[in-house]
Amino acid sequence: MIETLQWTTLAICAVIAAARIPSTLRGENRSLFGIFAMMTLAILLSIQEPYLIIDSALGGTNIANLLLRFVIFGAIYFLGVRVSRGFGADKAYRLITGKAGITVLLAISAVLVTIFLLMDTAGSSAGLLDISAKDPRHFALVEYYGAAGRAYPAFVALALLPAMVRAIRDRLPVLVRIAAALLALGGVAVALTMFFPVLPPGLKALQFIINYTAVLCYVLGLALIWAAKVLSGRPARSRKTSTET
Amino acid sequence: MTLSAKAFQRWLQSIAPDASTADVCRVSGIKRTTLAQQLVRGKVSVSTVVSISRAYSINPVAALAGFDAYTALAGPPRPPSRNELVSQISSADLLRALLARPAMDASRGAAAPALSPAPHATSVKNWVDAIDDGEVRHRVSASTGVAPQNYSAQLTANRLSPELAMATALAAGVGPAGGLVATGIITEEEAGWPPGARQEALDSLSDGELTALAGDRLQALGKVLRRQEQDQAQTEKIWENLG
Repeated sequence: MIETLQWTTLAICAVIAAARIPSTLRGENRSLFGIFAMMTLAILLSIQEPYLIIDSALGGTNIANLLLRFVIFGAIYFLGVRVSRGFGADKAYRLITGKAGITVLLAISAVLVTIFLLMDTAGSSAGLLDISAKDPRHFALVEYYGAAGRAYPAFVALALLPAMVRAIRDRLPVLVRIAAALLALGGVAVALTMFFPVLPPGLKALQFIINYTAVLCYVLGLALIWAAKVLSGRPARSRKTSTET
Repeated sequence: MTLSAKAFQRWLQSIAPDASTADVCRVSGIKRTTLAQQLVRGKVSVSTVVSISRAYSINPVAALAGFDAYTALAGPPRPPSRNELVSQISSADLLRALLARPAMDASRGAAAPALSPAPHATSVKNWVDAIDDGEVRHRVSASTGVAPQNYSAQLTANRLSPELAMATALAAGVGPAGGLVATGIITEEEAGWPPGARQEALDSLSDGELTALAGDRLQALGKVLRRQEQDQAQTEKIWENLG
């Protein structure tokens, strides 16, 4: 079931990324294509078989896992920028792109790389499961590494959440409000990933479901906004601003 | 509240004893599927009765008065108040009338053109505002069980269900048919409003009253337009960044 979820998510992401190619060539919101492409790559790297192939090509030291973390950071950063600007969430935009946000990003990245270097990462293993099983020290390091990798997405997701909840109730087109609801749900799922360490070991499947729910909600939310714009027929009328003070 | 199919059939029998449902639909211009559906569900809409009444040259108000929920419509029509009459003049007509007043522009002697018939774009809200003593909304909400925010939403959308229109008139102590005129279900004439009553009411407004009223309407219109523009701007921003 988890395999199906993974490959379905990958297919959906890839299709949407491919669908964005024409508008990207026209120069419309190129970073959206970047977000979809990075998400596709991230999902590819999180599935066992492609991970093993890619990582062994990169030397078999699990550097692909580190790459995966930074691809996710990149995707979530650009998603945060686009969504906060689109929904007029100035606070979230300042939080993500301001000093605080960049400091958080750099600090978490430094921690991530440091922990990675502290580990003996030889031997490709999706999710670093084999590394974690080496000894108690490596088990702890992998836990911290995972927590650091989930911290930045959770930070951005929480920054966006209030604006998304507000947008659900706004007087916006109904598709956009549904999209905002999806983005909010995705944000909640991303925030929930921070609680993975306290999850009972028997609930490993729940981790996968939360992860992929988050990705699917974000991707579908963004795609829905795009669909809403296309369906609205792009009313390019120039608005009169005479009543604005 | 819609009308029961049973009562409707009885009423139809009394006005067109020999007509088939198909005949009735053809004469009144109602789609056969629509009427069939209403009959199957046992809920006939008020507008169905109004359309059929008109087709058979019966006053729709008198016809509705025969149904349980609308008995308040029976009897001689109560004349509308001046506020009600003025509320059913469109903002454009009010502004034209104002411009034709000597106080505004002494050089313009031309009379304002004839009023367009009720209802107009904000007639429902203007009607409720005209009869509201400040507590009407609460009383309607209490008597019908409709939440105040749902009631307000209907007014903002320039809509009001027939039963709420009746309940509002009752709560405000005005003639029961006024709300049906404001919502466009029946005409002024059918409600028994004297011909030219709106024009007379308008003419009876002093320059000051008319100017203040037009100002209120413009202010309300400005608010609505501003809000639409803000919504539009917000949507455009989303398209621009995420489309």
